[in-house]
Amino acid sequence: MTDRIFATTWLAVCIVIAAEMWRLSVPFSYDPVGPKAFPLLLAALMALCCLILIARPDDGAGRFNLALLGKGSALIGVLLAYAALFATLGFPLATALMIVAVSRIFGGTWKMSTITAVAVAVGSFLVFDRLLEVSLPLGRLWT
Amino acid sequence: MENISNLLAGFQVAIQPLNLLLASFGCFIGTVLGLLPGLGPINGVAIFLPLAFALHLPPESALILLASVYMGCEYGGRISAILLNVPGDAGAVMTTVDGHPLALKGKAGIALSISAVSSFVGALISTIGIVLFAPILSNWALSFGPAEYFALMVFAVATLGAMLGGKPAKALLGCFIGMSLALIGIDSGTGVYRLTFGNLHLSDGIQFIVVVIGLFAISEMLVMLEQTHAGQGAVRLTGRLLFNARELASSAFTMLRSAFLGFGIGILPGAGATVASAIAYTTEKRISDTEGTFGDGDVRGVAAPEAANNASACGSFIPMLTLGVPGSGTTAVMLGALTLYNITPGPLLFETKPDVVWGLIASLFIANVLLVVMNLPLVGLFSRLLSIPNAVLVPLIATISFIGVYGIHSSTFDLVLMVVLGVFGYILRKLDFPTGPIILGFVLAELMERNLRRALSISDGDIGILFASPLSLTLWVLAAIVLLLPVIWRVLKRNEEARTEDI
Repeated sequence: MTDRIFATTWLAVCIVIAAEMWRLSVPFSYDPVGPKAFPLLLAALMALCCLILIARPDDGAGRFNLALLGKGSALIGVLLAYAALFATLGFPLATALMIVAVSRIFGGTWKMSTITAVAVAVGSFLVFDRLLEVSLPLGRLWT
Repeated sequence: MENISNLLAGFQVAIQPLNLLLASFGCFIGTVLGLLPGLGPINGVAIFLPLAFALHLPPESALILLASVYMGCEYGGRISAILLNVPGDAGAVMTTVDGHPLALKGKAGIALSISAVSSFVGALISTIGIVLFAPILSNWALSFGPAEYFALMVFAVATLGAMLGGKPAKALLGCFIGMSLALIGIDSGTGVYRLTFGNLHLSDGIQFIVVVIGLFAISEMLVMLEQTHAGQGAVRLTGRLLFNARELASSAFTMLRSAFLGFGIGILPGAGATVASAIAYTTEKRISDTEGTFGDGDVRGVAAPEAANNASACGSFIPMLTLGVPGSGTTAVMLGALTLYNITPGPLLFETKPDVVWGLIASLFIANVLLVVMNLPLVGLFSRLLSIPNAVLVPLIATISFIGVYGIHSSTFDLVLMVVLGVFGYILRKLDFPTGPIILGFVLAELMERNLRRALSISDGDIGILFASPLSLTLWVLAAIVLLLPVIWRVLKRNEEARTEDI
């Protein structure tokens, strides 16, 4: 069933890709193929694969564990927030907050997650930003 | 002879202090990543690729780091296979079959040491194979035109689809999905924007690193939510830590046979370490299991898959270095690393960048020696790392992934896109899509399209050029056979079953 849902969704994506490429206006092209043909070919091949999957879905596939839905969405939410706040809050603070949250999601105790958070956030900032010269943000909010 | 002088020059690159340091670091980290269940070579290489790039390492050093991580993972997978009965990476699945029973009998030390030596033998034979065959193959490939290249890549995609289990439609769809992700952005031929949907951030296309980290680090974190990490289940190391002469002698031929087998399988595009170790194990069982001891703790049952999976990992460098067409997901990531440095992979690589190619090959020898030296005495330390809880490990992966991606373009958009792609990758993995083809498709898309357009420019639009030369025609036929064979096989089998039922 999950296979069929995914294949149908992706079939729609193929149609969007094909439509986008179809109405793309190309002012000039030096080669006879142009930028449209390859994506259109891909969309057609993907559509074919989707149709095969709809006709003959794989029964064993796609066991999403619904019990993990809450934890999974929490983890995705934390990571998205980390990405969004990375430059605003600065690397050390954002990282420490992310680690406490992720560590808790994975069953760490408060003590363990706090220690990991402080150690990893400060340690990796010193190693990467100061020692290895990979520049990391200190936070737009504070500077 | 020329090979030897080239190899010596390669050793001069590989023994520079920075490169030696990176090789030892990569070997150690690789072994750790390999032994942790869930993290394998492709995750390890994916996590370290952006770091290598953000650290402004020269290309040969970056490749040496990534190659040592890759080889280290192949070594590390066996540790958890033997002690936990959980393969640390996919290539070590077959090692559990005899490795864990040995550990339960109190022979964990013997299983670990014999498998370390097997890994060494496998990787060594395979690296010698690279030295012997890679230059020949690249010389031959110099005569390829765009049409031949296009056919070759079609063949690579087809074998990938056929090799990965019984789901060619999924492997192929995954590959095409990867390709369509690569199409996003400006088209180099005409300057038009494709599939950006008006988003300015997408006009440069999706960065390779963002895709790699999203698919292999972020989605892995989500997968790890499902595992209850077996930190306690490990068998304690007791008894003899080293094999004796008799055990070594009994498995010597097993190692050699499996190494050659693994090397041959590694060269084929698509068939990776997992396939190699499975085939080696079943072959060895057929040849030498005269007393029926395979399956409940035979040292040869550990030696065969370990020699084969290391040999195949090294062998998969050959198509990547000589043809510019990766043979596995991990080498696809490494090929992408080359393109990040504006190095065009392909047969010319041996002439234009000998220091990179031969430095990499020489470092495979060095990494292999480092690994066997590291793995024999330090196995106790490594086995203790099995008890790192996910509550510490997962935040660490997240931190390193974000540093790597941010370190390249300092772009918040890339970070968000990486998480989104990670969720997409997770959904695909839950639906049983193999991830290797996705990244392979992403890497191959541009090369395929460029060669297709070049070929048709030469012929002024005549499609016949794609099938004109005997070589490209052969490749097309092979691709068709590889794709259709399983289908024909199934039909024949069904007919036969029907017939036997009639009788």
